[in-house]
Amino acid sequence: MKFFQQFFASGTLFIWLAGGALACSLLLIGGLLTIIFINGMGYFWPKDLVQLTLKNDTRVLGEIVDTQRIPETATADFPDGQTRMQLKVGNRDVYGLDFRWVDEADIAQRTWPQDVIAFERREWGNFYGWVTAVWDGDTPLVKGRDIAWNAWYPFLEQAESLHREIHHIERDVIGAINADMERARLNLKTLELKGKVSVDSADSLQQDIQQRELAYQEQVQRLVGLYERLNRYRVTLIDVTGEERIFPVGGLVKAWRPNAMRVWDKTLMYVENIWNVLTDEPREANTEGGIFPAIFGTVMMVLVMSVAVVPFGVLAAVYLKEYAKQGLLTRMIRIAVNNLAGVPSIVFGVFGLGFFVYAVGGTIDQLLFSASLPNPTFGTGGMLWASLTLALMTVPVVIVATEEGLSAVPREYREGSLGLGATKFESLIRVVLPCAMPGILTGLILAVSRATGEVAPLMLTGVVKLAPALPVDSQFPFLHLDRKFMHLGFHIYDVGFQSPNVEAAKPMVYVTTLVLVLVVLLLNMTAIALRTRMRKRYAGASV
Amino acid sequence: MKHSQKRRQMWVLGLGIGLFMGWAGTAILGSSNAWAKDEMEDPNWVNYAKVSGVSGNLNSIGSDTLNNLMTLWAEGFRKQYPNVKIQIEGKGSSTAPPALIEGTAQLGPMSRKMKGKEIDAFESKFGYKPTAFPVAIDALAVYVNKDNTLQGMTIEQVDAVFSKTRQKGYKENLTSWGQLGLTGMFADMPISIYGRNSASGTYGFFKEKVLENGDYKDEVKEQPGSASVVQGVTEDQAGIGYSGIGYRTSSVHALPLSMKAGQPFVEPTFENSASGEYPLSRYLFVYVNRAPNQPLSPIVREFLKYVYSREGQKVVIKDGYFPISEKIIGKQLEHLK
Repeated sequence: MKFFQQFFASGTLFIWLAGGALACSLLLIGGLLTIIFINGMGYFWPKDLVQLTLKNDTRVLGEIVDTQRIPETATADFPDGQTRMQLKVGNRDVYGLDFRWVDEADIAQRTWPQDVIAFERREWGNFYGWVTAVWDGDTPLVKGRDIAWNAWYPFLEQAESLHREIHHIERDVIGAINADMERARLNLKTLELKGKVSVDSADSLQQDIQQRELAYQEQVQRLVGLYERLNRYRVTLIDVTGEERIFPVGGLVKAWRPNAMRVWDKTLMYVENIWNVLTDEPREANTEGGIFPAIFGTVMMVLVMSVAVVPFGVLAAVYLKEYAKQGLLTRMIRIAVNNLAGVPSIVFGVFGLGFFVYAVGGTIDQLLFSASLPNPTFGTGGMLWASLTLALMTVPVVIVATEEGLSAVPREYREGSLGLGATKFESLIRVVLPCAMPGILTGLILAVSRATGEVAPLMLTGVVKLAPALPVDSQFPFLHLDRKFMHLGFHIYDVGFQSPNVEAAKPMVYVTTLVLVLVVLLLNMTAIALRTRMRKRYAGASV
Repeated sequence: MKHSQKRRQMWVLGLGIGLFMGWAGTAILGSSNAWAKDEMEDPNWVNYAKVSGVSGNLNSIGSDTLNNLMTLWAEGFRKQYPNVKIQIEGKGSSTAPPALIEGTAQLGPMSRKMKGKEIDAFESKFGYKPTAFPVAIDALAVYVNKDNTLQGMTIEQVDAVFSKTRQKGYKENLTSWGQLGLTGMFADMPISIYGRNSASGTYGFFKEKVLENGDYKDEVKEQPGSASVVQGVTEDQAGIGYSGIGYRTSSVHALPLSMKAGQPFVEPTFENSASGEYPLSRYLFVYVNRAPNQPLSPIVREFLKYVYSREGQKVVIKDGYFPISEKIIGKQLEHLK
């Protein structure tokens, strides 16, 4: 009895409880990250292709992605039940589905053919098989099952550079012509609206438009030529069941022979694959290709939000802490601010849509962009409104953290400053705020973490599945805050819940999640590094 | 992409037999793999021909079922006209009519037909009805886990699984797989039901066609997207759920259905949906605002022409839906002139 009394009094139980709780949290976080990491990073490894001959003499070729036990198959021979495996067989256009389950009991033979080729295609997903013919237009260059890699692979590399050129023309060159043309058209319409259209100015604008139209047609001709070159060389591909299909080499993204590759080659390709996903644009309604626009959109939105939230939040906190008379009113305001942090994000989204997009944006359109109406410019969701909505959502965090930081500045500092003859404003700017900087940055870190993971309010205020252009580009005025943008969080929702081919899209969801976590980490690390530097600079300030 | 060897031979043979027989022939040849995507292609589709003078903005607001399809079409259309800007919003079929009325969108994709009320609202503003263009066929499939050995269900049984009111009049409430005749581990397994949220057009279509506007059971687990219904059924051995055929995967089984007990079960394949034999097939539409006897704006006209071209209908197949018949395409193209 005495032992138990002592045990409780010593607090050992409490320490164990506290330690256990911490261990549980760490385990959960670690487990979650591990699952995301394994599933996300495994996606990039070029897996071997296994060829199965089934007992009914059909053949199947693909990557093994999963194995599981078949329920209710336990017999005397197989006490645990039999297993089956899921293969990624690709060739969606031929088989209808990319994946297939095969019972292990049906397999007569497994081989790993050395010469089998995996192709990543611009459409329809992967193709697994062999090249049986190479065509130049309609004339065959080579035929047969043993075509050398070099007989067609150079065409693929050539196609890649053609693709880059086409992409450049379509996006940059034609994009610039369009922007100019649009501007000329709007100028003309503005003049008409104001009723100040003179024959001369209208004529010169019309001519301008016509010239650009001609320039556009010229680029289109260039594109036609490029597409012809792209589709000139074609290959016949054969799958494991003997079905043949002809594809233009330009329709292939890359080709590799997984079974013949050594670990070193695979590692190189692994790194290359990761790089491609991070830098490429999405294809096929986001289920394939890269996620660069989503990364860009996420980071940029957070930066714009930070620019808006920090001054706003700091000013509010400074007034509340330093200038306002402390009393019932300030207490109530503090309670309101704290409660604001608990308002569900979707409510902020609805507010952003109603206030920013429709009220403010609509008014801006009426006043400044009336020429392009009824097409809205700012009267529709966009980067600016989404960032401001998130800034509103996170401003309580910054206010609270800044107030904490201000309270931590020792009284002697203020008094010293005042005693040396500085005004209250001067000591605030020169002494108090710099000392409170680490606290402000803590607020920013919390704000960034909350904002990066937020999706619901963005869906109402400017995030889209596929944005035609980035919010920053080489066209005047370079920063287009009115544009809609892509976001990693929404990408996860879209690919995970909306894409028709869930099995194929699953790895993409993990990859996007992993990237989102890394982006949050990176943004936080930057802010933390900044804070550490500040702390060193004002060492001893905030005791 | 070329058609399969088989198919070309078939074509030579069938030269004199005519269009319909050719179609039937492909169906028979294709039966070895009823799901092969390029078997659905029709040699009579026309390639898209570019025209000049197409530029500007194209806004589309409407169905989330059609969101992917519209995005893929937009990607393809922009390849033809790199100077066109297309914005697509897919938050539900019900968002299309107001967008068309307000003029914020030129295209209103919908996974169901407009309701009388929506048409009236449109008519009272413009004085004429909106024009609907059927752009693809969807078969609403009833999915079960791949381990489920059920051969098929009648629509009445489906109703008795999903509905608490049982408007179709099945004799008993179905709550366990055993009641549908399954044995082994399924005999005592309660049915676990997955469905869509009420904002979705799919929810409405299923409610109208299967439940005859009865009420869903409270046990239905409502999912935010069609893909998550399929995911639910994949993970849950006792699961059953409905979603568009485009969402079929290797880990679920799309049940063959029949209208009434005693009739043969019909698989949700392309042929059965195009012929209307599959009980839950539907058209997907794009609505536009077109004044009578007036041409459409060039950008909208060319977009629809693209949708009806070989390239556009191949996109339909790629997204997992079924292309519409050549006859209907011909009729629609006639409208577009």
